[in-house]
Parts: sequence; structure tokens; C-alpha cells
Amino acid sequence: MIEVKGLSKFYRQTKAVDGVDLSIRKGELFGLLGPNGSGKTTMIKMLTGQIKPTSGTLKVHGINVLEDPLRVRELIGVIPEQETPPSFLTAEEYLYFVAKVRKMEHYEEACEKWFEFFDFGDQKTSLCKDLSRGTRQKLMFAQAFLHEPELAIIDEPLINLDPVMQRKVKDFLRGYVKNGGTVFISTHILEIAKEICTSIGIIYRGKLVYTGRLDDPELQDKNLEEFFLELVGKRKGISKDILEESQKGISALA
Amino acid sequence: MFDIFKSMIKEEWRMHSSLFGHSGFALFPVFIFLFTFFVSLVLPVFREIVTDAQIALGMHYIFLLVGGMVGAFGLLGREFMNRRFGQASLIAYSSRVLPVSERFIFANFLGKDVVYYFILYILPFVAGFALAAKFVPAGNFGASATLLTLLLTLSISFMIGISAIFFLSTVYAHSGKILLLCLLAASLLLLHISGNFNQGTLYSLPSLSFFLVPSENQLLLSGVLILVPSALSLIFLKIDFPQAQKSFSNSFSKLCRYLGSYRYAAFVAKDSLDLKRSEGGLGKLIFSFVLPLLLVWTLLSALGKVIPALSTLTLFALVLGVLSSSMYNWLTEYDIFSSYAFLPLKASDMIKSKLNSYLILNLVPLVILTLLALKKDPMFLIPSLTLFLTISLYMVSVLVYLTGLSPSINLYNGKIFALYMLSVMPLLMLNIILSMFGPYYALMDLLLIPVALYILGKGFRKWDRNECRCF
Repeated sequence: MIEVKGLSKFYRQTKAVDGVDLSIRKGELFGLLGPNGSGKTTMIKMLTGQIKPTSGTLKVHGINVLEDPLRVRELIGVIPEQETPPSFLTAEEYLYFVAKVRKMEHYEEACEKWFEFFDFGDQKTSLCKDLSRGTRQKLMFAQAFLHEPELAIIDEPLINLDPVMQRKVKDFLRGYVKNGGTVFISTHILEIAKEICTSIGIIYRGKLVYTGRLDDPELQDKNLEEFFLELVGKRKGISKDILEESQKGISALA
Repeated sequence: MFDIFKSMIKEEWRMHSSLFGHSGFALFPVFIFLFTFFVSLVLPVFREIVTDAQIALGMHYIFLLVGGMVGAFGLLGREFMNRRFGQASLIAYSSRVLPVSERFIFANFLGKDVVYYFILYILPFVAGFALAAKFVPAGNFGASATLLTLLLTLSISFMIGISAIFFLSTVYAHSGKILLLCLLAASLLLLHISGNFNQGTLYSLPSLSFFLVPSENQLLLSGVLILVPSALSLIFLKIDFPQAQKSFSNSFSKLCRYLGSYRYAAFVAKDSLDLKRSEGGLGKLIFSFVLPLLLVWTLLSALGKVIPALSTLTLFALVLGVLSSSMYNWLTEYDIFSSYAFLPLKASDMIKSKLNSYLILNLVPLVILTLLALKKDPMFLIPSLTLFLTISLYMVSVLVYLTGLSPSINLYNGKIFALYMLSVMPLLMLNIILSMFGPYYALMDLLLIPVALYILGKGFRKWDRNECRCF
């Protein structure tokens, strides 16, 4: 579903993404993990053809993203990092607008399904600018899945959602993958990856430092948090002792 | 205490320079200086039509308005800021997380606005005017003391504008209804004044009165108009505005149905809802377009009496074309491409959709011009309409090429502003000269159509290549 080879994006001196190779098969729920500023959002923007890579190749749905980014965005669903639906449309009007842009027919029922799923109630007639951030995130989630894409690319899927909605979204994503869909999520919250992902990649300072399935024996022996901290800590030049010391310190504070 | 003030100045500078580019924004006061200088060089021509006092009146009211606009943007423009900068916030809106009072922060905010915009707008304006006064006979404006007084009184006008808006925004924060009552009372007062209207009323702005006839009383009154609203606003400060959540029925679907299978139906429907529901709505069309047009018509009619060779109707069509291009700003004001970049859309699709809405909005000036031409002189109808349509198309094509989907931001970049002026000013000057030789010379402007289409094509390719700046 996603094939990436030698993908890099440089901004002057900054290497936002540096030589990433990645392959994600149909039916996977892949989680790209990494600390803040490690290159996750840049990866997503390149995969969706919003920005061009400095070098490397990338195919989504078998389509070269560089050659036909519009076709890629037609086929997939995307939830961007920031929830910014147009201010002066209502939630309902925004979903209708997206459906029109995607040239969907008979979309009213699909929109209604999502409003019910997220329990919008009266809020679907409120202007997007007046919605809370959580509600706007729900709206962005709905627009990404409105056309029932086979692949969804999501930047921080559960951010701003309350625990009830988080649970609903997690269940939906599990079911979606079970029915043959593919999901690429980026997050820095390890629990999310642990709960729902089938495979993960860890990106640090633009480099993909680990990829594997969550049932990988290397991961089975440790918990994901320790594994992540060890991997990132090593590269940051932080020894295991220091990490343990800091953990002790945190426990003492707690 | 001074730290917050310094940080706010830095913040304002960085906000502008991140939006418009460092060198581009640094050049902005230079362009205000040059622009004022060149416009002031034709002061002797203006003084044939209007008096020195009328020129001073125009300047003082412009800066009163600028003060109001700066204040309105700083205090009420949170929606715009949120769309540009996402979750980032200004110091003024972060008072709850800082260990200082909101009053203290907002007092600094006001001080910052006064100092910052004095350097950005007022100083270069007066400097450009002062330099031009050395080269042309400037009458009463030539004396150094007069120019220094002008610097002071324009600053006072600016501060009156800011403090008035600060006061109104505080009233609004407490109650939208009280604000409505205040505005109603002000309208009744204005109605009463206009009943007994005489020109002197306009000159009662204290800063202007002080400029024309310096007196302690006027200076004192200016101080009261600045300090009292500001002090009241700080005493009754409330930074959260009432957010009544309004419900709207689905007008988008109705509009789309009405527009049928038209390719840009969804976008035109969205743009019309943006215009209708955003601050201003229909008022924007009246106050930002129709009323300035009335003023322009009055001024051009006066000019036509002084210089009979100039055709009022042709010049009006020209100005109409220029003013119409500002409608493109309205249409792009609340949109940034990053809100759509994840959908199957190119930047050029968005621009094309905005141009479709622009064409529809241009029907308003088209109707105004047609009616006016039919009433004044039907012989001028075809040339005037040609001139208006071609100038409007050319102006918007230059705007699209230079500024893409963000004209209200990119035009503040000094280099872009200079390019814009160079692209349009010679053409406008040529048209003014040609208009003296008869209306049918305007048909030459038909040549602008292929030029404009070529520029638009280049603009589409340029903005498609450009990676979206996500603030």
C-alpha cells in the first residue's frame, strides 16, 4: 500500500527526513512513533503529496505520489496535524463541502452516519469556528473516512478527544483494518501504538531507527516505552544508567 | 515592567516578518515614505481643487481610521490569528498563564501598538510628506514647525482611533447588547448632527483642530479622548468576548442546488457563506465598496470641474476597476491553502474558484457603472464597461501572480508591494492620459485581456509549484 525508498526532505541545514525506507502492506495499522520534531508530520505531508521530497521515491496505492499527488489524495483519507475546517461553514456544511470536492453522490446518508457515530447532536449546525477542538478533530476524522477510502493517513488520531471518543475511534480503526483497510498513524503517545497498531516504526531526527511488528520477539521481552527510550536515549547519547536515574527521580517526585 | 513591552514589540515584529519576510517587511516603511513622497509631489495640483485645511482633514481622518483598524485587528482579530498561527498565541492573550495582571499586559499592549505603528506608518508618512514639501510649493505645510505639529497631531488621531476601539471592544466583551445600544446612540447623535450639518462639524476632531489652530483646550480634549476610554477599558477589562453559539440551517446545500452542475459550485457557495457570515457581511460591501465609490464619484466630479479635459465617467470606470480588485482580498481573507491541501485540490484550483466568486462579485460594480453611464452619457457606456472589466481583470491577475491566495498578507512585503505598484501604476497613468483624448481610447485596453490571461496562467503554475506555508 505504501512503498518508500531513500526518502529525504532537507530544509537548508535541517534534515527533517533523512533516507527513510518503508513498506506497509494492505491490512496493516502502522504507527510511526517519534519524539516531537522528529519528522513524523513531514513524512505524512510527503506521503500525501503536500510537499515534495528532496530525494527518494514514494508510491501510495501503487501510484507515484510525485507524478500524481491529486489521484493519491482522491483515493486516501487524510487527517492533518491541525484541525482547521473553514470557519464560517457549519459542521454539516463542511462535510457536504468535502463530499462535493470528492465528487461523491448521495453523501447525505454517509454524513449523517458520522454525525451519529460522533454524537454531534445540535453541534452539526454550529459554525466550525465555534466548535471545541475535540469536536473539530471529530469532524476532521469524519471527513477523512467519508468516501470510505482503503487507506487513511492520520496525524495524531486521538489528540483532543475525550476517553469515550478515544475508545470509539480505537475500536473503529481496529474494525476498519480487520475489514481490509490500511491505516498509517503518527503519534508520540506510545500507549496508542501499543493498543491498536499491528506494526510500528520509530523515527528520530529524521531517520527511521526501527521498524517491526508489535509481535516481534525483540519487542515481546520489553515494554514499548522502555524499548523506545532505550533506542532514542542511545542516539541522544543518554546512557541507560542516566535513564534509570531519571526514572528513579520521577518516581521520587511522584 | 519594560520586559513585557520589549517582548511585545519583538513579538509584533517577528509576527510580521514571519508572515511577510524579514527584508520584505523591513522595507515597508520605506515604501510608505516613497509613496507619500511621490503622491505629495502633486500637492500643487491638489491644492487647485482643495484647501490646505481639507488636505489636513483627510490626513487626520485617515490616521484616525488606521488607529481604529490597528486596534480592531489586535483586539478582535483572534479568529484571523488562529487560522494563521494555529495554536500559537500572542502574549496579550496569554495573561492567564503569566504571573502579571491582565490590566498590566493590556496597558503594555496599547503602548506597544502606539510605538510600533508610529514607527511603521506615521513617521514614514510625515517624512515623505516633509521631503516632498522641500521640492514643491507646499504653502502652509512647508514650515518645519507645521510638519512637527503634523507629526504630533497625526499620532494623536491614531491614538484616539485605537483607544476608541479598545473601549468599544471592552463594552462588547461585557455585553454585545450594550455595544449595540452605544452604536445606536452614536448613530442617532450623528443623525442629529447631520440634520444641522455644516463643514465645521468635521473639523471638530480635536487633533485636527489643534493642527489648524493650536490651543491648550484642544490638546487637553485630545488627551481626554485618548486617556479616558483607555483608562475605562483597563478598569473594566475583560478579555473573553461573549461567544454565543449560533445555529445555521444548511444553506450550503441550497446554494449548491441553485448553482447546479457548475464546476465551482461548492466553492462559490462556500465563499458566499463566508462573506455573509463573517464580520461585516453585507455591511462590508456597503462600507468598503459602495460608500468609497460615492466618495470617489464626488471627488472626480469636483476634479472634472477644475480640469475639464478629464472625463469623469472614464476615470470613474478606471477607479472602479482598481477598487473592485480589493474584492479578491475579501474572498481570500479567511482561507489558507493548508486547510485544503490534504484534499484532492491544487492551489490553482482554489485560486480559480476564488476568481469565479470574484467574477460574480464584479456584477455589483458592473451594474453601478451601467446605470451611471446610461444616466450621464450613453455614448460612454461601451468604453467605460470595457475599461472597468479589463482593468479589473488585469489588476486581479497581477494580484494572483504576486500574492496567490494571501493578498492581504503578501502585499505587506515591501518587494511584492513595489512590484505590484510597478505593474499597475504606469498602466493607470497611461489610461488617465488617454482618457483626455476621448472615451474610445479605452478600447485599447482590450489588449490587456491576453496579457491578464497569460499572467494568470503563470500565476497558477507558480502557486502550484510553491509548497504551502503552514503557519
